[in-house]
Formats: sequence, C-alpha cells, structure tokens
Amino acid sequence: MDTIRNFCIIAHIDHGKSTLADRLIQQCGAVDDREFREQILDSMDLERERGITIKSNTITLPYTAQDGKTYSLNLIDTPGHVDFSHEVRRSLMSCEGALLLVDASQGVEAQTVANLYLALEYDLEILPVINKIDLPSADIDRAREEIDSDLGLDPFEAALCSAKTGEGVGDVLEAIVGKLPPPKGDPEAPLQALIFDAQYDSYRGVVMLVRVKEGTLRKGQELFLMHTQKTYQIEEVGLLQLSRNETKTLEAGSVGYVIAGVKSVRDITIGDTLTDAKQRAPEPLPGYRPAKPVVFASLYPIASDDYADLTKALEKLSLNDAALTFEKDSSAALGYGFRCGFLGLLHLEVVQQRLEREYDLALLLSAPTVMYRVKLKDGTDLEIDNPVFFPDPSEIETTSEPYIKAQIWIPERYVGAVMELCRDRRAENIQFNYLTQGRIELTSEIPLGEVVFDFYDRLKSVTQGYGSFDYEMLDYRDTDIVKVDILVNGEAVDALSQLTHSERARQRALHYCERLEDTIPRQQFKIAIQGAIGGKIIARTTISSFRKDVTAKCYGGDISRKRKLLEKQKEGKKRMKMVGAVEIPQEAFVAVLKSEVGK
Amino acid sequence: MSTEPGPKTPAAAAPEMDPAFETQEPAGLYLHVPYCSAVCPYCDFAVRRGDGDRADAFAEVLIREIRDVASGAVAPPDDPAPSRALGRLATSTFDTVYLGGGTPSLLGGDPLAEVLGAVTDVFDLDPGARLFFEANPENVDDPRLARWRDLGVSVLSLGVQSFDDGELKFLGRRHSGREAVVAVERALAAGLGTVSVDLIYGLPDQTLEGWSRSLEQAIALGPDHLSLYELEVNEGTPFFKQRRRGELTELDEDLQAELFHHTHTRLGEAGFESYEACSFARAPRHRSRHNGKYWRHAPYLGLGPSAHSFAAGVRMWNERLEPRWRKRVNAGQSAVAGFESLTAEGFILEALMLGLRTMGGVDLGDLRRRTGIDLATPNRDRIERWRDAGWLHEGDGPHLRPTRLGLAVADRLATELSVP
Repeated sequence: MDTIRNFCIIAHIDHGKSTLADRLIQQCGAVDDREFREQILDSMDLERERGITIKSNTITLPYTAQDGKTYSLNLIDTPGHVDFSHEVRRSLMSCEGALLLVDASQGVEAQTVANLYLALEYDLEILPVINKIDLPSADIDRAREEIDSDLGLDPFEAALCSAKTGEGVGDVLEAIVGKLPPPKGDPEAPLQALIFDAQYDSYRGVVMLVRVKEGTLRKGQELFLMHTQKTYQIEEVGLLQLSRNETKTLEAGSVGYVIAGVKSVRDITIGDTLTDAKQRAPEPLPGYRPAKPVVFASLYPIASDDYADLTKALEKLSLNDAALTFEKDSSAALGYGFRCGFLGLLHLEVVQQRLEREYDLALLLSAPTVMYRVKLKDGTDLEIDNPVFFPDPSEIETTSEPYIKAQIWIPERYVGAVMELCRDRRAENIQFNYLTQGRIELTSEIPLGEVVFDFYDRLKSVTQGYGSFDYEMLDYRDTDIVKVDILVNGEAVDALSQLTHSERARQRALHYCERLEDTIPRQQFKIAIQGAIGGKIIARTTISSFRKDVTAKCYGGDISRKRKLLEKQKEGKKRMKMVGAVEIPQEAFVAVLKSEVGK
Repeated sequence: MSTEPGPKTPAAAAPEMDPAFETQEPAGLYLHVPYCSAVCPYCDFAVRRGDGDRADAFAEVLIREIRDVASGAVAPPDDPAPSRALGRLATSTFDTVYLGGGTPSLLGGDPLAEVLGAVTDVFDLDPGARLFFEANPENVDDPRLARWRDLGVSVLSLGVQSFDDGELKFLGRRHSGREAVVAVERALAAGLGTVSVDLIYGLPDQTLEGWSRSLEQAIALGPDHLSLYELEVNEGTPFFKQRRRGELTELDEDLQAELFHHTHTRLGEAGFESYEACSFARAPRHRSRHNGKYWRHAPYLGLGPSAHSFAAGVRMWNERLEPRWRKRVNAGQSAVAGFESLTAEGFILEALMLGLRTMGGVDLGDLRRRTGIDLATPNRDRIERWRDAGWLHEGDGPHLRPTRLGLAVADRLATELSVP
C-alpha cells in the first residue's frame, strides 16, 4: 500500500490540466508514442472540442521512482463543470492528494481557489504545481507569491514544469511519490469500496470504477451494494491502464474496476458503497448523494420518422449516463418525443449534441424547467416538471420552487456586476467573505430556475472569465410560478408553454412572440401571436397576411427553374406543423427554443 | 404513344413527349444575343461584355445554329425525346420572332439583316408574324430605327429601366433619363407597330412618390406597352453579394405590395390593361404575343446561348455560356445542354404559376382534360375562400381568374393549391 498514490489534478480552466495528464501518462510509459493522442483522457469529441472534461476518466500509471521502488500512481480525472460537481466530489473522495495547477503566466485564478477549498473539504494533501514555465510571459516569482498569499500554501513546495515541453514533469512525478501520502486502510477489514464512476461495455455490461477504502475485492466474491441493497457476484477485477488490466484482487488503497454482471448503469448508483455480502461493513462510506436531475425539457425529433431512432439512441446513451432520465412525451404541435431530466444545462447540451452528432438526429428542445411544487386548494400536493401538467391557476393555493446555495468566487473588482446579476436572478441573502486580498467569496440563495438559464455563462461573461461558481441544493420556498402559454390565432402551442416566475412572465412571453413573428411566414390571413397566463394576455405580436408574392420576370426559359423553386416551397410546406389553420415551419420552433439555451 | 390529347391517370405520367402538355398554336422563335457593353448589377441572364464587333461575329455562329437546327443536321445526343421535340419545332409554323438579350441593338444593320434573312430562309414564318426587338436607349437613333423598321421589326422593347439619373446609375445603366425620354419619343415617331418601355421599380429606398414620378413620365410619353418589373436580387449577381454584405436592403413586403397595386391601379386609369403581373397594354393588339406563348405552354424554339425551347411537354436548354455554345455550334453539334420531360404534376404547377399571373387565369377544367387530374374538387373550399378574400373573380366555376390582389400573390396561390 505504501507504493500507491491516489491523486487528481485540479486547475482553473486552460491552466493545462489535460496536457499535464497526457505528459504524466507518456512519461510513465503507460501508452507508447504511436498510440498517443492529445488529451488522451478526454475521450468524447465534445470534451476535446470544448476543452472541458465531462465524464471522469481514471488511469493507473506504473512509475519507478528515484528510490528504486515501483509505484502505482492512480490519476483520477475530474470533470470541470458545475453541472457535474457531484462527480467532482466523488472523484475527490477517492484521492489522498491533489496536484493544484497554477499557470505561470496567469497566476492564481478564482477557480483555483474554489477548487482548493473543495479539495481541502475532503482532507486532501495539496501539491502546488506551477505550469507553463516555458512561456515568455511566465512569472514564476509572482506565481509563488500568489500561492503563498492567495492560497496559503508553501510556495517552495511547488514543483515547476512545462506540460507542453515536458520540462520538470519528472520533478512532478517525484513530488507525487514524495509528498503525497499513501492510502490508509486494512486489507483484512470488512470491505468498503466507493463506486466513483461507471462505464458501459457492450460485451461485459457495467464496469464500476471503485476506490477500495477497506478490505479486499476478489473474483467470485459476492457483493452487496449498501444503498441500493442489491447483490452481485464479481466476474473480474483489475486496474485501469487505458485498457482494463485484470488482477487477482484489489486491496484497500487501490483504485480499479469491478465487473459483476450489472446490466445497466441504472441498476447501480454512483457513490454507493460495495461491501462483502457475507461479511458486511457496519456502515457505508459517507458522502452518498444520488445524482438527481434538476432540469427538465422535452426532446422531439424534427422529422417524426426519427422517433424510433431517438428512442434507441436515448436507451443507448443512458447505459453510460445514469444521470439522464427520460420518459415518453407527446405534443400536439411536435408529435412524439421524450421528457428528459438533466443534471444541469451543460448536461442537457451535452446530451443534445451527442444525440445529434453520434446518432445523427435533428432535434427540437422545449424550454428547460426545474421541478416546482404546487399545493392545490383541495390540499393535494403536486410536483411539476412539465408545463403540460401545471394546474389551472384557479385551483392553486401556493407554489414553491427549489433554491440553491450558490458560492461564487470573484476578484473584488467584479462585485458590483455580480451583485447585479444575482439580484436580476432574484437572489436572496447575498453575503461576502473576503478570502484574501482582492478576492471575495459571495454566497447567496438563488432560485434554481433562475440559474438553469444561462447563469453560469452570464457569470463568466460579467467577470471576464474570472468568476467561478458552485452550488448545492437548499430547499423549496414559496414563490409565484405561472404557466405562460403561447397562442397562435387563439390556439395554444403546447411545446412552447413554459413555467416561470410571474415577474419574468411578460418578458419571456414577448421574447417568444417576437421570435415567432420573425420566423412564421405570412399567410392568407392575419396571425395573432399571444403570450397568456390562463385567460390573461400579457404579450402580443401580429403577422400580416401575405400581400405580395409573384416573380417579376417570368418569360424565356426560366420556367423550369421557377417551377423548381415553387416545388421546393411546396416541399417545405409539407414539413410545416399545423396549429389550427396556421402553418408553422420547423425553423420557427428551432429559432424560439434555441434562443433560450444558446444565448 | 397516343397522339390524342385526353384524360390519363397520373400513374401514366412522365412520358417523353406529351402533346397534351402543349397548346396547339403557331410556335415562337427566340434568338438570344448575349452581349452587353456593360453588365448590369441586377442581371442574371446569360450575358457577357462585348461591343458591336463581337456581337457581329456572334451573328455568324447564330446563323449556323439557325440553319443546322432547321435542317435537322444536328440532334441532341443520347435521347430521342429532345431530338423529336426539336425536329417538331424545326418544321413548325412561327408567328413570332423575338430578338432578346443581352443587347440585340448592339448588332450592326448588316449582321442583323443576315440573321433575319437566315430565319426567313429556313423557317416557315406565318405571313402575319411579329418581329420583336430589344434595344437600349443609347443605341436608338433615327437611322437605326429606320433600318429596324425596314427589316420588319414590329415590336420595339426599350430597356429604359428608369427616368431618374440616380436610379440609372445605381442600376448600372449607360444612358441618362433625358436620353431615355428622347429614345422613346423617336421610337414612337418611327412608325413601328408597338413600342414598349421596360422599367424596374421597387429599388432600395424607393418611395411611392419616387416611383410615381417615373411611372407618370412613362404614361406621359404614350407608349403602347409597358413591362414593369420589380427589382429581384438573384444569386450570382453583384446585387446579391451586396445584399449578403448588408449593403443592399430590399423593400419590405408591404411597400412592395403598395407599389405593385399603385402601378396597376394607375395604369388602369390611364387606359392600360394589366394582362399579366408585369405587363400592360394600351390595347389587346399590343399584348406580347411572344411572351404569351411562354405563359400558355405554346411551342417555342430558342437559339443562342442559354435559350430554352419547348414542345409537347419537353423543355430543352442550350449551353448557357457563350464560348461553350459557340464551340458546340462550330463543331457541328447540337447546342442543347439538357432537357426535361414534364410530368403531369410539373405541368400542372407550371400551368398554375403561369396562368395565375395572367388576366386570363387558369382553367382547372382544361387542366383536367389534359392531365386527368382534378384540382377543382379537392380545392373547392380553398377556391371559395380565395374568392371571398378577393383574390379571384367571382363565378367562372373551375376557371380561376385572378383579380389585381390575386395577381400580386400568384406564386403563393399556385403553391397553395393541393394537387391530389
């Protein structure tokens, strides 16, 4: 056990986390140069493209240190976005130490501080690493000063390296061995192993990634999952070394994988504790928090023929994404689709993009919403995550919505802008905490519904990228939620209904009406587009009837060409959705619904 | 293949030639002269820059195409349909000859005479055939007018486009408003059968008042015919690029409609009939007999680069680019670059879009006789609504005759009718 080190890398975005991981993997010879590709742990195209890690990856690196001993270095990767903070927490729980990466030219950033605090919460030993020392703008002394003043860490412990050139990476490896503690635990004790991630293998079923805290995992052993109360038999255990490497056992302190005949990631829960069915541990490991979807939206295929393909794609995707929930849904305007639950907007966007790219589906997405609670006058309590099921206002006694406790870390100069953003999002109890000179931690209670729409993007924008943000669910509070319907010539378009706070209703309704005005072509009659709460109209635009549609020149040979143009228009008309007598092109739905998420 | 026009089922559609898809009447002959002294930024016709000398050299090649097609010496390869259709056209009687472009008025008198001589030589021309000729104002003077008249030009179409110098500059024209006025006056004095003036309206930033001034000027000059086109920004033109860069904005639909209706109303008051969405005649005899052939699916033969031909449900088009066309003709090959055989559905859509843009409208009963497809029954409610909305004249049963409001939305109506 003395030769095991479990660690993760935490860093501000762009400070070189994936590049350093690549370099460590290369230096330890876990992958030969021929197989090597940039950002090897970010396996999804989407991750590479956006430069963020969405799904954690883990790898065991064999390293022979200067003391002559061969160590197993378990690099546990962590996702870099607040939607996936539950995964970050579980990853941190599997480590004893963390490399805290600081960019030599940019110094300590807000997110570095945030990550440090998160790591300290889990009692991790921190090893500062100053990266990008090859840059002409690198200022190592300043980075050291900031590690001292902003982070309160010993600046002279910091390892210096350039993940890009490979310079100093050897020192980093030595520091991992020398300065990070080995895991503790007793291989003979009752088994306690934390599931911190799971992957789906189409041949073997679910592959659980585990950190063994106490006891030993071995082939043939009967497992008991302490939270889900299920029993499985182990088929295989081993280490993760880019591919799976079977071993006889996984002892306390190790990080590895377990295959135990689990058919779907839905059958297990990440964060659960594995124990031996016959010799059970007295209690599970702490920190269990099931990933619960907090954002809900409906997905519809643009071509209704694609419904069967969408069904298959969601089933496949969910094998590997336990946080994604979905159930059948149907809309009068858009046909069959699915009501889906997501961890947050980024998760939603990732799912949508994966469906579009990996499964080649063109999708429409309804306005995302959170789960509201409604108390009816007759005393019934309802949980509503879909506007379709929102009761008539006359039946409602009270509504309540989920609040989060937001922690926002910012340089002092952005306080004004962030306060304004928070107030705009109906934040309550805004408080400041001076962390160090010039840096502030702002805490506040904000309705989750206000956060799921672009809050994180807005925060990044008003703080020029310096702000970072984390949240935890708080409670439900009384509020005034209304359902805004969009009516086209008096007919409600179900897919465009949304739940929102009454103060926001008019603004949102008008936004939808204006987008529709821009995108619905003129028709034979005047079209009224209205936003309404119950019977009350709160926004309105109109589209005049068409008045002019005839080609100027129509003679000579361009008759074939002109006919083909009209044939195309006729074809487009077939794909329109009818709402009453009004034809609405798909583009109108796309324009309206996209503008919500993409903003 | 049946030669009797008669009802048929849609399943039997897509014949290579179908006489039912042709209106029985004399054919029209179109000759395309692709040269212009400069290319206007809105133009998407097959044109290239060239002076009179080039146009004259071009005439020689055109004459060869005229002779080869008429004698059946060249046949489009690979398919019997265009060959048969061309063969049919070559032996037709023609009652219109149309020289368009480009700028036919760039042609010198002698080459023009040779072209027309070849046409008379090889084609069967009706004794009452009309000769249409497009001319730019800067090419119009008394000697040339006299020559054109002597060569038999009976309809002179003047590419005035505007009487306003600023607008003319914007449109890339080479004449002034004053020159245009003089050209129209001289042409009217030259004793031709019909003088027509072409104008473009709906320019960016044009107002109703601005357009009215040009229109009144045109009415005051007293031409026999007016062709009034709204500016259309087509792909591949300099205006198209300007619009993409945001440097050119088209008028919004409401103002376009306002200008359109003002034009039709005002010309009605001034004694012109709106016999087509963009065409106005002082008397029925001044209507364009040649353009009417396009709108009625009458047979027509087009020669010169990009020219289209039509006979019995087959439409063919020549090589669009002048050098390619020239190479083909000089090599003794057919210049036809492509063709299509109309399906019943395609024929119907064309008949609707063409018919609904003319005063005469479209007779669904006639379409049914030609194609076997009944549009009147499945569209009964829709047609009733259109009559209520004032787009179609009342009565007439299955004969749809557009009102002025209907002419303005003819394309839309054509696509709204459902074809079973």
